[in-house]
Amino acid sequence: MTFRFFGTRLASLVALLLVLSVVLFVLQEISATDAAAATLGPTASPEAIAAERARLGLDGPPVGRYLDYLGGLFTGDLGTSFRTKRPVTEDIGSYLPATLELVLFAFLLALLLALLFALSSTLRWRGAGALRGLLFVSSTAPTFLLGIFFLIVFYQQLDWLPANGRASGGAATDGPTGLLVVDGLLAGDPAASVDALRHLLLPALALAVGPALAIGRVFRSSLRTTLDAEYVRTARAKGLGERAIVVRHVARNSVNAALSMTGLQIGFMFAGVLVVESVFSWPGLGSYLGASIPVSDFPAVAGVTFVLGAVYIVANTAADVLQGVADPRVAV
Amino acid sequence: MLDTQPATPESAAPTAEAPDTPVATLRDLRVSLSRDGTSSEVLRGVDLDIRPGEVLGLVGESGSGKSVLALALLGLLPAGSAPRVAGQLRVAGVDMVNGAEEERRLARRESLGVVFQDPMTSLNPTMRVGQQVVEAAGSADEAIRLLRAVGVPEPERRMRAFPHELSGGLRQRVMIAMAIAGGPRLIVADEPTTALDVTVQSQVLGVLRRLSDDLGCGVLMITHDLGVAGQIADRIAVMYRGRLAEVGPTRRVLNEPRHPYTLGLLASRLDFDTDRDSPLRTLVPEPAGGAAVAGCAYHPRCPLAVDRCHAELPGLPELPVRPEHSAACFRAEESRDRLLEIAHREAAAADAAKPTGPAEPAEPVVGDATAVEREDRPARPGVVLATTELECRFTVRDRRGRKAPLAALRGVTLDIEAGESLALVGESGSGKSTLLRVLAGLQKATGGGITGPTGGAVQMVFQDAGASLTPWLTVRELLTERLRRPRLDRAERHRRVVAALDSVGLPEATLDARPAELSGGQRQRVALARATIVPPRVLLCDEPTSALDVSLAAHVLNLIQRLRAELGMTVVFVTHDLSVARIIGDRIAVMYLGRLVEIGSADELVADPRHPYTRALLSAVPGLDVELPTIEGEPASPLAPPSGCAYHPRCPVATEECADTLTGIQLVPIGPRPPGPARTAPPSARRAVACVHRGEI
Amino acid sequence: MAALVAGVETPTRSRLPRRHLVGGRLLNHCLLGLVGLVTLVAVLAPLLAPHDAVGTSGQLYAGIGSPGHPLGTDGIGRDLLSRTLLGLRTSWLMALAVVALGLLVGGIVGLLAGAFGGWLDAVLMRVTDLFLALPGTLVAVAVAAALGSGLGNTFLAISVVWWPYYARIVRGEVRALAVRPHVEAARMAGVSTPRIILRHLLPGVVPSAVVTASLDVGSVVLVLASLSFLGLGQSAPAPELGADTSRALPELLTHWWIPVIPGVTVMLLSLVANLGGDAVRDLIARRGR
Repeated sequence: MTFRFFGTRLASLVALLLVLSVVLFVLQEISATDAAAATLGPTASPEAIAAERARLGLDGPPVGRYLDYLGGLFTGDLGTSFRTKRPVTEDIGSYLPATLELVLFAFLLALLLALLFALSSTLRWRGAGALRGLLFVSSTAPTFLLGIFFLIVFYQQLDWLPANGRASGGAATDGPTGLLVVDGLLAGDPAASVDALRHLLLPALALAVGPALAIGRVFRSSLRTTLDAEYVRTARAKGLGERAIVVRHVARNSVNAALSMTGLQIGFMFAGVLVVESVFSWPGLGSYLGASIPVSDFPAVAGVTFVLGAVYIVANTAADVLQGVADPRVAV
Repeated sequence: MLDTQPATPESAAPTAEAPDTPVATLRDLRVSLSRDGTSSEVLRGVDLDIRPGEVLGLVGESGSGKSVLALALLGLLPAGSAPRVAGQLRVAGVDMVNGAEEERRLARRESLGVVFQDPMTSLNPTMRVGQQVVEAAGSADEAIRLLRAVGVPEPERRMRAFPHELSGGLRQRVMIAMAIAGGPRLIVADEPTTALDVTVQSQVLGVLRRLSDDLGCGVLMITHDLGVAGQIADRIAVMYRGRLAEVGPTRRVLNEPRHPYTLGLLASRLDFDTDRDSPLRTLVPEPAGGAAVAGCAYHPRCPLAVDRCHAELPGLPELPVRPEHSAACFRAEESRDRLLEIAHREAAAADAAKPTGPAEPAEPVVGDATAVEREDRPARPGVVLATTELECRFTVRDRRGRKAPLAALRGVTLDIEAGESLALVGESGSGKSTLLRVLAGLQKATGGGITGPTGGAVQMVFQDAGASLTPWLTVRELLTERLRRPRLDRAERHRRVVAALDSVGLPEATLDARPAELSGGQRQRVALARATIVPPRVLLCDEPTSALDVSLAAHVLNLIQRLRAELGMTVVFVTHDLSVARIIGDRIAVMYLGRLVEIGSADELVADPRHPYTRALLSAVPGLDVELPTIEGEPASPLAPPSGCAYHPRCPVATEECADTLTGIQLVPIGPRPPGPARTAPPSARRAVACVHRGEI
Repeated sequence: MAALVAGVETPTRSRLPRRHLVGGRLLNHCLLGLVGLVTLVAVLAPLLAPHDAVGTSGQLYAGIGSPGHPLGTDGIGRDLLSRTLLGLRTSWLMALAVVALGLLVGGIVGLLAGAFGGWLDAVLMRVTDLFLALPGTLVAVAVAAALGSGLGNTFLAISVVWWPYYARIVRGEVRALAVRPHVEAARMAGVSTPRIILRHLLPGVVPSAVVTASLDVGSVVLVLASLSFLGLGQSAPAPELGADTSRALPELLTHWWIPVIPGVTVMLLSLVANLGGDAVRDLIARRGR
């Protein structure tokens, strides 16, 4: 791994964030709603709207306005929500931990399921075929249907798991990390953590199934290709045990394709989380977005897109760097 | 011999064996593999012993089953092709057919070593080579010792390298180091030098031979080249379609072969004594389909086949008064004399037919074949293609993946005369293919000049004929494509296409075939038909025979020679093989790292090489009675060619001057001036060499 | 890990040859027939729908199997079968259109970039990479939100983020083909550049592009449903599968079939698309052998 490898990845990370900001700015420009009119409400006079436009700097040339917007992004100012009349940054700040906790948990779940899926055909297990079939069929279901299905089965019929929210009763959401499972542990309250986990399970599973299958498929096929590689034949010819062969020679060489698919799937998860949150009344960005879209609150939509997009871009850069660690030929 | 021996008593423990017990015993070994649901028998009853301390050369063409035999020995037949194994196969006392998996794994670990063909794909690309050797050797110290033993310079440093950072020769040495780890009783080497340059090949062969002698282990050396086997093997086994055709001591098999197939292989093999003036001897091509035949598998191709051969499978009996030498042929006793007889008769017939000349007059040149000068300066009279100080540089990625400038051609001045055939010879990185691509107009030169015809007047035949034919187009489409420019009617076009196919010996039925449906030899014929359907002035050939088996290669070389005579083409032929160059070229030009180092008439250059590199190259060509030469070093990377004469770090007669010479890299005419007035003799007729010693070594 | 590794199949253990489905071809053709049937239903949906999809029929919360309403009615008495048929029509035809447009645009971009190389390739691929590096579905949400609700806007939003995948794939295939000797051989044979692109490059790209695209239809169906679920489709009361589920969510625990039926329809569409895609891949792979 060279310094240049890191440098180029970092540069492209910054460039991508800039592009994302341009895209959102352009969309803001062409969006049907006028910020000044939306801020003041339907009763405002044309003069008041014009004054507000001047105050918001909406009269200037586009380049100047873009620079303002960019400067705002740097200082953490994503504009003001038309709906809540509060800074979007503040809104997002209060909803983000819930979404992050859900996505993080779902992501780990997806990796675990993907690993099971990939290994279940390479290694022989009882019931591996059934697991694969189940994953395949459920991956064709839209996320919201999975969520609904889980609600009916595990909440309504079996009553094993809770249906909505992040915690039973009014759990404190002001812990140090904002992630309830972690905060519970930090506060020495394992019961709270377990409660949070029970709430997480259904939405996370609904969110994880699709990405799990996509990642698992890629990992499985690259495992198969690698098992047929000539250097694996060499390793067998050395008389290495199967365990050493899989651990030392196969795993590392198959992981790359799966890593890039993982990066891609994080993007789909950020879209999926918006849907899942509204099914499970999860108080996160999805619910915020769901409330913003019907009233054309574009600053809120753009803010959520930017924040989640930025997380996605960073995660992909991380996947890229990990590929360089796994394969010295990539890291140049 | 093998059939007459009673089956070896099965020894309970390997340690109880006598020192002469074979390290591997094969008895009636049969292996079936399936592909796409159809199963076919790849090995059809092989009996063979490999003894400790001997190098056994297993020779066969593609499809003979020799690589499957290697994998069977290792117990590593690909599970994907559902192998079914019958018969007996014991390696170092372990049953590799029915033994427990753990037992076979231990046999691989302790008693077997293996060297595969392509060291690039056979080494794990993401693991340091040191680690990979340690896996086999047990400790880092032992790994370093092994690497040193196989001649890897600075083994401590190389331990930390990744495979893609090493040269081909070093990679193969690393493979060998892993193979000898733990003192194996048998090393299986499956075409270990095929992917290597010829000068490196002799080094690797030398290492294998030496290790076999030092360690006293048996070596199964699998190769397609009888010459390679002849250089290092104690015994040779010739394989044909899954059975052994002939087994015996190396000298006997090579000098007094008894199986018609061995005789045919030897006859179509090229060496420096092959007659240049008559067509090469060829084998009858393999019948299409490759379906199982009753009786001897070789009988459809065998000129000596009698009724018995169709019906009955010959055994592999030891020949009378020839201990250790066996041949699977009913007519083994008389085969040699009868085949010589047939050859003489054919030669006489060919001589009688000679004066008739070309069968049909050359087609007029049509289309854009009218020569377009690339420069306004016309070429000298008699010279059809000329380059002056041609340079070609491009940016590539080096072994560590960084961008680096590569000088593929570093000042090539060459005159090619109308009607002559010039063979360009060199190892990988010599720039020979780049030169051909520049001549073809596929690559732009970055310096120097080039004069000669362009467009349709220059045609090219590629190394991999299969890849050079568009897979989804039929032969008809591929050929008619070249007849678009002059508007011909359908009937005329059809006539031309059929005539072109006929001239390369393909039937009209080939027209509607797609490349995948043709055999390797047929594809190269189609490629030739496409290149010559509108006769070009210059035909460029990029190793068109290197991917073909010996017997097919001879057919294609004959065809090129005949087309050249019939159509009056100039031929430029790139090859890494000097024996091919000598057959096809009137002149030979030798290249090293982007420069010409020697040029001269084929016979002279082969008989009396004047550049040290040409000498090394000549000595490295495997031959039947050629000792392994000692050649220093590997070709330097063209990314960092040595200063002065690029060959000086490897040159046995290099002086201090060589490291920075400017004159020593210029081609200087040597030898006597050709007779006749200087004006009429073309300047290119003379022998020339680029060496500070001016050929006086 | 040891427990997992112990079960790795050993390469030497002889194994029965993989059983080939008897009539695997027939099965594939049946699956393609299913895709055709769904398309036919989508096209003919307005004729097949027994009731007005928007107007109320008077009967509220009719269960599945009610006379005259095989799939029941919703809270304001609209016939669920009719709504489902018309929602299916929108979802399916739009998914096909998105993939077709993506294939067309991406194919042309990829073909040009791959065939000509140089600065054209560099520019086109930089743009494509940018699109690919942004989270596509999120951008689609933002685009749809900015443009406002409506069928055309949703279509545009998805198409904008969908074509770069195809451009990447086609370009990669073209590059791989372009360095093959057969293209150089064609050039040496004096074949013109347009003919090289159309006859010597394009046919080699079509199979993988078609396979990728047909495997993608299912994903587009799902993404469209998600956007619609978030309220980024046609505005009410137009029948749309995702939106219908979303709006009926409060009735989930009392009248489960109202939100579930449109969701299951989406799932069936995606399943049919995936099976059809597999069939296409299988048929093309067989033809290639």
